[in-house]
Amino acid sequence: MTVDSIVKKHGNDREHLLSILHDIQSGSPDHSLHREAIEELSCLLDVPISDIVGTASFYTMFSLKPRGRHIIRLCESPPCYIAGEENILAALERKLGVVLGGTTADGLFTLEATSCLGACGVAPVMMVDDEVYGHLTEAKAVAIVERIAAAQG
Amino acid sequence: MKKTVRTQVLLCAGGSCISSGTPSVREAFETALDKHGLNDEIEVITTGCMGMCEIGPIVVIYPEGVFYQKVKPGDVEEIVAEHLLKGRVVERLFYRKPSSQELIQTINDIDFFKLQHKIALRNCGQIDPEQIREYIAMDGYAALGKVLTEMTPAAVVAEVKASGLRGRGGAGFPTGLKWAAAASYPSEIKYVVCNADEGDPGAFMDRSILEGDPHSVLEAMAICGFAVGARQGYIYVRAEYPLAIERLEKAIAQARELGMLGTDIFGSGFDFDIEIRMGAGAFVCGEETALMHSIEGRRGEPRPKPPFPAQKGLFDRPTVLNNVETFANIPHIILAGSQAFAALGTEKSKGTKVFALAGDVNNTGLVEVPMGISLGTIIYDIGGGIPGDKKFKAVQIGGPSGGCIPTAYLNTPVTYESLPELGAIMGSGGLVVMNEDTCMVDLARYFLEFIAEESCGKCTPCRVGTRIMLELVTKICEGRGEMADLTRLEELADYVRQASLCGLGQTAPNPVLSTLRYFRDEYIAHIRDHRCEAGVCASMMYAPCTNACPAGVNVPAYMALVAQGRYEDALRVHLKANPLPSVCGRVCPQWCIKKCRRADLEGPLAVRLVKRFMSDQRQNYDDLYPEKAPDNGRRVAVVGSGPAGLTAAYYLTLMGYRVTVFDRQPEPGGMLRYAIPEYRLPREYVDKEIAGLVRLGVEIRTGVDVGIDVTLGGLRAEGYEAMFLACGSGQEIRPDIPGMELKGVYTGIDFLERVAKGEPIQMGPDVLVVGGGDSAIDASRVARRRGARTITILYRRTRSEMPTNPIEIREAELEGNTVEFLTNIGGIAARADGRLEVEVRKMRLGAFDKTGRRRPEEIPNAQDVRVVDNVIIAIGQRCDMGDLLRDGQGLVPNGWGGIQADIRTGTTDAPFIFAGGDLVSGAATVVEAISAGQIGARAIDQYLSPDAGRVYPWEHPEAPPAPAESDGEIETIAPVAQPLLSAAERLITLEVERTIRADEARCEAGRCLRCDYKG
Repeated sequence: MTVDSIVKKHGNDREHLLSILHDIQSGSPDHSLHREAIEELSCLLDVPISDIVGTASFYTMFSLKPRGRHIIRLCESPPCYIAGEENILAALERKLGVVLGGTTADGLFTLEATSCLGACGVAPVMMVDDEVYGHLTEAKAVAIVERIAAAQG
Repeated sequence: MKKTVRTQVLLCAGGSCISSGTPSVREAFETALDKHGLNDEIEVITTGCMGMCEIGPIVVIYPEGVFYQKVKPGDVEEIVAEHLLKGRVVERLFYRKPSSQELIQTINDIDFFKLQHKIALRNCGQIDPEQIREYIAMDGYAALGKVLTEMTPAAVVAEVKASGLRGRGGAGFPTGLKWAAAASYPSEIKYVVCNADEGDPGAFMDRSILEGDPHSVLEAMAICGFAVGARQGYIYVRAEYPLAIERLEKAIAQARELGMLGTDIFGSGFDFDIEIRMGAGAFVCGEETALMHSIEGRRGEPRPKPPFPAQKGLFDRPTVLNNVETFANIPHIILAGSQAFAALGTEKSKGTKVFALAGDVNNTGLVEVPMGISLGTIIYDIGGGIPGDKKFKAVQIGGPSGGCIPTAYLNTPVTYESLPELGAIMGSGGLVVMNEDTCMVDLARYFLEFIAEESCGKCTPCRVGTRIMLELVTKICEGRGEMADLTRLEELADYVRQASLCGLGQTAPNPVLSTLRYFRDEYIAHIRDHRCEAGVCASMMYAPCTNACPAGVNVPAYMALVAQGRYEDALRVHLKANPLPSVCGRVCPQWCIKKCRRADLEGPLAVRLVKRFMSDQRQNYDDLYPEKAPDNGRRVAVVGSGPAGLTAAYYLTLMGYRVTVFDRQPEPGGMLRYAIPEYRLPREYVDKEIAGLVRLGVEIRTGVDVGIDVTLGGLRAEGYEAMFLACGSGQEIRPDIPGMELKGVYTGIDFLERVAKGEPIQMGPDVLVVGGGDSAIDASRVARRRGARTITILYRRTRSEMPTNPIEIREAELEGNTVEFLTNIGGIAARADGRLEVEVRKMRLGAFDKTGRRRPEEIPNAQDVRVVDNVIIAIGQRCDMGDLLRDGQGLVPNGWGGIQADIRTGTTDAPFIFAGGDLVSGAATVVEAISAGQIGARAIDQYLSPDAGRVYPWEHPEAPPAPAESDGEIETIAPVAQPLLSAAERLITLEVERTIRADEARCEAGRCLRCDYKG
């Protein structure tokens, strides 16, 4: 969807800014907010670029930098932490060859931490795109990543 | 056409169960039902969260309510073919009660569900959340209908007020007051906002309600809109909950379609509609003013209050802002009436509360209980207790704004009032249970890190204050802390609490304050001793096993050396920290393996078996002891030749002192010789290791009762400049019951000592042993070896509270002894035939004691009588220091007949007298006694030679050989088989366990993951 059509869908009031940014970002192949899109949005909403960037940068789920095709969000909340989240993180970092926050060289994955995913009953947990994976072990986390990578062909 | 449905298969499609595989299980059901032609009579319904997330996917089959856990697609064919077709339930998928392993068939028989009272979660797990008809069938939207057709707005507000409902999102503000305030401000436009920004880590009840019963929230918002005069509602949901958003969207669409939302609802002329707004990952947006800014499309920063949202909220209009769970209660209150709701709970905390149980607890998931229930009931009865044989340490309640509550407060009723008294808050109801492996300083650091990251930065106290607090706590975790940091932390906490703009900052110091309040010792241990008992803070830990070992034995080093076949070098390493490898190789309870990282793979290392093998390789260690300093001519007396005394004597001798050990018994060794039975520890190994110490230069004088034969003052006059008292706890506690004096009645220690000394014991075929500690189990097993045939152990609590090692219980049972739990002895009487008549009383578990164990209490009029030949009472030990205390050296008695001494330094009230071991700590294990011996040796050396500046052999572990290069992949290696003899064999041999072979030992030692190696 173009920025224009996204704004049409939600309406061009300021109150829809977050919803619009969500749609722009999820429609972008690298899961980020591009400069051009923000500029266009600024005109359509009549909100200064600085204000849009200031708002977007306040929220951790918006990225102004390009990210991978799939976003891995590893939960760092206490139930996951107690259940060994750090070991999973290390395994994923090893597997992907990136540190937390990084994007793989092939642009396939970005590894991020997230606040509680609310699936504490099956901790440790991660979410890849919109899918939640629980009861993670190092091996299981790596296998999930491998499976997704393989599905990309 | 649908025929009569005879059975419904409810399949949990809560977020956790979906992640565990619900969608593929559903598919498998559809395929299997199709195949068996059962489509018309059996309906599969995917429901919202049932609450027991850990064991998902869950399937419940009604009408019977048969409950299956962890169902895989591969199990479905069996469920369909056996249960649905033939009526034979599939037992292997049943839930097992954690404490007893008992199989439980139906959902109503599971404690987790039985003890709950569901209001907010009434429909979760019962209906398909994507079908509005199912909600309506459960009286859904009836409350809205009632409100719109029968009530005035003021009456609705009054009803909510009368219910006593308070905000479930954290602060607990009375909901009715909020509504009344918003209703009172005149405005054409008002808003109802649902706070579904459930950000508290460990809380997931709002997600479950949104996913499992979204209409209950929509209905409540409409009711609220009617009550306060609002026509528009917003639900602000976290973007982390895509499934909740999807189900809410569907629910809103269906509600609009049926006219439950929109214009002229129920023909009443009332208009109300709801929009969803999605968050974007900012914890502070859970704060109401920040949340409203975010809905407006701005940075989610809080603003000062007043004005409160009820007056000036969203888009500057009067706004009611309630959390999801709060709203979910509303339809029930309207339908059942405020009085029914208020009848639950306590005076100021009405109704029920949903808690999210997570962390180290058997049944994780969501539970809804009446307010005022005790924490212990939630954790132990509903939660099923702590997994493994770990101990409960604390529960973090209320997320990052809350606090942790330790063992001593398990009886606390959970209410809005009681929790703040303990330094916690109800918060949104996240309960994170933590076991002994959690470091409380690290936990405080974790929460500060969370808060410092989530602080929106608008006000300085929160932004800078939490950052400085984080730096201070990080410093302590890294071993760079100083005592003054604790005061600084408290001062800063106070400042941040008082001066921050919003609730996030005002409550941010709570985790630090509550851990400081209950676990100050842990902070001090980190700062002063550089010790992290839980084995979490890496910087102050050589390896988790060594850290856990009271004697600090360098486990990775001797494992590495044994693996290479260098047994003597391995022994050399061991002897630096512990002079009794043969003894410990047989009886050590292995504190080390509780922290062994290999436990997560095939199981922890069999450290004791490797140690035993290693020590058996040498008849003496004369050339392997650490280097001995030249004789300094100074004399030290040690009283007691048990492991504490021997260890102190060993190290002092190595330092050049002339040490004499005195013992009242005819032979040295204390409990090693006179209490631990030979089947676990043959005397030859005690003799071997004591003989080594004597050859090293330790003088041992047995048969001397210090306090009677010679006084401490007398020893000092003889030239002993310092003394170490380690005379143990050799006296059995005698219960105050009739018949203790009768023939055939023994105390545990007395019985074991008589057997050890070869004194005559009259043992009949039927024996009762009373107690649950090591000596009770030991006595029961010795009794069997002395000819007893039917041996029953009475223990007044249950298996999980038994203080002895579970392996010992298992072994005793294997040999044919039985344990009767929840029983106690009432009295003993003699019979004419010479046998004993014993009254046995039934017990039950009552409230929690300070240590977190349930106190046993007698069930009135529930006893029976047993006729036996012997009774052995082994319920605990105490010391008998009477004669030493009368010695006039100023020693002060402690509560169990020992003397008062500083457990960390061994110092007593007399400057030249030091003490350690059971005498100071109460009855403990051999390896703890060895640690006490180290402490005593260091204390005496520093007293006698304050300027020596010595490095003690046990203090600085030397680096073992580097591990082989690894690519990070860990090869699976089968653990060594337990070398236990069969029950029949062991009764005719001396030891019940054999020494493992060299190949077994090297392979087992090779499983060490080398946590010491940081390279």
